[in-house]
Amino acid sequence: MKSLLKIIRRYSLTAGFIIFIILASNIGVFLYLGSSTMKDNEKMVYGRGMMEQISHELTIQGKRIELSEKGRKLIKDTDFVWAMALDESGNTVWEWNLPKEIPKTYTLQDVAAFSRWYLKDYPVRVWKNGNFLLVFGCDKEQVVRYDALMSSVLFKNLPMYLKTMVVANVMIIILFILCYGFRFYRSMKPIAQGIENLSDGKPVDLEEKGLSSELAEKLNFTSRTLRKQEEQLARRDQARTDWISGVSHDIRTPLSLIVGYSDKLAQDESLQEENRRLAKTIRRQSLIIRQLVTDLNLTSKLAYQAQPLKKKTCSPAALLRECIADFYNGEFGEDPYLELSDMEEDMLNYTIEFHMTEDAQRIKIEADEGLIKRALRNLIGNSIRHNPNGCHIRVTMSVQNEKICWLIEDSGPGISEIVVQNMDKQETKVHIMGLRLAAQIAKAHGGELQFVSRKSRNYDIAFSIHLDQSSKDWL
Amino acid sequence: MEDNNYTILVVDDNEELVSMIAAILKEKGYKKVLTAQSVKEAMQLFHAKKPDLVILDIMLPDGDGFTLFQKMRGYSEIPILFLSAKDEDEDRLFGLGLGADDYITKPFLPKELFLRVKAVLKRTYHTSPKTEKKEEILILGEHEILPEQAIVRFHGDETSLTAKELLLLMKLNQNRGRIVTFDALCNAVWGDSYYGYENTLMVHIRHLREKIEDNPSKPKWLLTARGLGYRLAKEETNS
Repeated sequence: MKSLLKIIRRYSLTAGFIIFIILASNIGVFLYLGSSTMKDNEKMVYGRGMMEQISHELTIQGKRIELSEKGRKLIKDTDFVWAMALDESGNTVWEWNLPKEIPKTYTLQDVAAFSRWYLKDYPVRVWKNGNFLLVFGCDKEQVVRYDALMSSVLFKNLPMYLKTMVVANVMIIILFILCYGFRFYRSMKPIAQGIENLSDGKPVDLEEKGLSSELAEKLNFTSRTLRKQEEQLARRDQARTDWISGVSHDIRTPLSLIVGYSDKLAQDESLQEENRRLAKTIRRQSLIIRQLVTDLNLTSKLAYQAQPLKKKTCSPAALLRECIADFYNGEFGEDPYLELSDMEEDMLNYTIEFHMTEDAQRIKIEADEGLIKRALRNLIGNSIRHNPNGCHIRVTMSVQNEKICWLIEDSGPGISEIVVQNMDKQETKVHIMGLRLAAQIAKAHGGELQFVSRKSRNYDIAFSIHLDQSSKDWL
Repeated sequence: MEDNNYTILVVDDNEELVSMIAAILKEKGYKKVLTAQSVKEAMQLFHAKKPDLVILDIMLPDGDGFTLFQKMRGYSEIPILFLSAKDEDEDRLFGLGLGADDYITKPFLPKELFLRVKAVLKRTYHTSPKTEKKEEILILGEHEILPEQAIVRFHGDETSLTAKELLLLMKLNQNRGRIVTFDALCNAVWGDSYYGYENTLMVHIRHLREKIEDNPSKPKWLLTARGLGYRLAKEETNS
């Protein structure tokens, strides 16, 4: 909406500026033309200068009056069609091209009448030269004579009238600009609102009328198209999730048989040691499939947001303690990746040490407990899995930058560069489902899974989730 | 009744799976194992043979396990376990919420199935008044704890336990041999989170040790899992 106001403001200012420029240039041109016509006027074909010049060329020789050669030339160049000279008693003493209908003698009343008006329909101009009155006739067809008589008050107030008019005009123009600007703003407002909604992913349904009807129509169409695409995408995601969920479901019954019978064979004393070992491998691999199927199902649900988070208030410190207690209670022994025949004994090779900062112990978070525990288990399990001969694991929990962070380090070689590089790739040869799942769980909680570089160029893992306002209140 | 004499009904639409489960249970000594592959068959056997325990799949060709469960529960209170390929928490919680005695997710290790069946049978049928009393006495070396009376007997002397101490001890005993976190203990005793109860919990544990340990500063039964919680040892430890 701000951008729309900006556009309107810019539009009004530009309109005002354009009007100012035009007015200024008009005044400039007017002034220039005014000054140059003043000069031109003198040379004008009907002008006083011309009449004066011609009168000077009249010479009196006895009783006859003659026009000199130069005078004849001058009069020909003018647009006068005829000319005559009258003496004091009103008789024509000289004439040039005088039409027949023009009388030769005039009374005082006649002279007064035509000098201001027409003589036999010819517009005339007069010029007094000594004792003669020169009368020039103009072309009836081309010249109109207009005699103006104006109030001197009007002329005296002219500058003031001009000023008032300019001010009034400018004000009217500004009013119009504002009016139109406002109307423009009002008709564009729904369009701007529509675009804003569109970018926020909200549906747009504008009234298709008025100035912006076409735009509204297009916008509505775009919104409908987007909706449709979103629906299609959602349907496809749902189909994919359902499919994975279906496969995960259907694979479980046959897998039960494989696990069950391989377990039976693995314990069959009548079989040779070697065959029992093979049966054990089948069993272990089947359990890995079970783990994969479970992870795959969860990972697809998280990826397509098909599984709503069951968020509730919980203590991250309690979650971590529970996780580590589970480890010591031997519950990680179920992890088929850990090729540990006798957990109780082998677990002795693993030790977990953990630290929590004071604020991390106190804080409560809104999170899906099950998922957070799953992620922590995956990450601790990851350290165990990659250090089959035992290791020391250290988990540090702290609050940093509005996030609660679990740093998982171990005394083993750490996570290799290949794993880190393959985290975001869809196809990969490294088994990192557990890490990916943890990353997804972090992301679903507005956090992330980060790899912290060691000096050895390998990595440790930092799992963090975002703290919302209610969590920060605990700090 | 001997374990071997319980009648177990296994219902699943997969013939091979039911016969495998029957084989597992028979191998473990349960001789009377019945199998059914549909709701109809299951109900017939249920009425005819009156099984002591039912293992039920959720997806059946002519109905679903949840409805079948409710039908069976309409006739008797025998223990029923769900065995399902649905791994979602919701299904599990729904099943348990209906009142099922356990919920096993496929695939499962035979041992897991057997242990769960055994535990449910024990819980349901092994609580005759005689054994009940016997089981309720908790023996920690020379200390005998009688939860009913909330007393500890040691060399003929009787010390009484406070309500909180008894709750703590019972919670630990339920998970005997396993670490119970501070958080779980506080939740069981005070219904609250651990934060703010650190010292209170420590004081209660100390008092409890004074009553059940020979040397409270060197506990042999009620052990500390540093930073995590406490554990009630299964056997006397000498450390």
